[in-house]
Amino acid sequence: MNALGSLLLWVTDHGYQVLLIGLVVVFCVREPGSRRKIVRVLLVLGGLVVGAIFLAAAYGKMKPPAGFAWSWPSSVRISLAWFSMQVESYHLLSPAASSALAHFLPFFELFLGLWLISSIGLRFSSLVASFTLCGFMIAIAMAYHRGLKIDCGCGIGPPEEVGPASLLRDGLKFLLPAVLVAIGAFWIHRSAVAAPLRESAPAAPEAV
Amino acid sequence: MWIIRATTGTGEVIAGRIRDTMGVEILSNSGEAELIYKSDISLGAARALLALLLSGPCIATISCAQSSTAQPTPAKSAAASTTHARSAAPAKPVTSLGAPVKAYGSSNAPITMEVFSDYECPSCRNLFEGTLRQMIPDYVASGKVYLVHRDFPLPMHKYGYQAARWLNAAARVGEFQAVEGALYDNQNAWAMDGNIEKYVSGAMSAADFKRVQSQMQGCGYPGDPAVKPAAFALGAQTAQTCALDAYIDQDRALGNKIPVQATPTYVITYKGNRLPAGSGIVSWPILKQFFDSLLSQ
Repeated sequence: MNALGSLLLWVTDHGYQVLLIGLVVVFCVREPGSRRKIVRVLLVLGGLVVGAIFLAAAYGKMKPPAGFAWSWPSSVRISLAWFSMQVESYHLLSPAASSALAHFLPFFELFLGLWLISSIGLRFSSLVASFTLCGFMIAIAMAYHRGLKIDCGCGIGPPEEVGPASLLRDGLKFLLPAVLVAIGAFWIHRSAVAAPLRESAPAAPEAV
Repeated sequence: MWIIRATTGTGEVIAGRIRDTMGVEILSNSGEAELIYKSDISLGAARALLALLLSGPCIATISCAQSSTAQPTPAKSAAASTTHARSAAPAKPVTSLGAPVKAYGSSNAPITMEVFSDYECPSCRNLFEGTLRQMIPDYVASGKVYLVHRDFPLPMHKYGYQAARWLNAAARVGEFQAVEGALYDNQNAWAMDGNIEKYVSGAMSAADFKRVQSQMQGCGYPGDPAVKPAAFALGAQTAQTCALDAYIDQDRALGNKIPVQATPTYVITYKGNRLPAGSGIVSWPILKQFFDSLLSQ
């Protein structure tokens, strides 16, 4: 479990760099067919990266605290109860809603992570991921704006107080890949739909 | 290395050092005594040993003599040691007041919650009023949670350090709980004018208040109530004239190790496993849910 967690964290930490390099390559390639092929490969990689982000977040929220062994459901219950305290520290929800969200969110992240990795309906999964990450970042920004000195409770990396630096970093590492994958997936889908139409359309009469 | 302070019902402190897993050494019976044990012994085991020290038969002669001077209760006052133990420290005059006990409940509870607070901090008051006040008659009273107060006055609060001094003085005469409640209840009032004494005196009998007052000699009483030690204000070590500052600084040192970055910060330990520190206000339903998840292990 620890090895899996470390692998997920590594992908989470460095995956965005692969996508940014890929983006540069896409802009350098002029031939549309080759460009589409590269984008398709990048989308698979992007799905893995963004999926890993969500799996790492779910893992971080569900893993037992130091000194406790993995056990189902008791250690997970402890971790989720602890996460409830972190959700409540944002002062956005009532205790009951904080608890409900804390018990729902890690399982949602697990599902979303697996969905992204599977690449099935990637444009929808990446869109959901982008909106979810936007929601997290808005919550963090609101907490910072109100002067709350809290740990973000993201589950990724060591506990850290929220602030502009963590917001910028999260935006670059997490939100940007998700948005890029969503844009790429919709672009590929649109070009795939448009291509047969272009082929079947009658040729325009040449100007006399 | 863990450090535990133990005070008998009479305010007397029993002290010992575990030299190895078998031996116990009684060091002294004065107010500054500590029970120190090695990190290879669990917190629970050390507490059990401490309980044995506090309730066991009296063997060490010097300790017995000191205990009788302090007129302790028979059940809890005698210091005991194993056959491996020896009386090491020379007899010291017994002070009637031991180290301040700033805790609620039984130290044998499976969960220990340490709260680092500043008495002038509004969030600390909200945590106390909204959460801990509900927890104390419930989970603390039923022996599930041991709630420990740790002083962490912040330099930004004018009277926070002075309030902590009053609290420590009150804790040494066994009035910690009453005074903590009184200070949080009236935080807005004394935070304006610094008249902490008014609320401390109102929380206890006149006789106890006299004992508290006597400890505040050299602690900015009865002069300027806004006294902040230079060591606290400047972060430098200077000679301290107030004996109570040692207790506050001890708590602050513990907090700096965590590190405490804001108040309130709470540290929860379950059967020797210390969880990551949390800070800010947590509601009782959420905290209760967390305790229940620990207790259901």
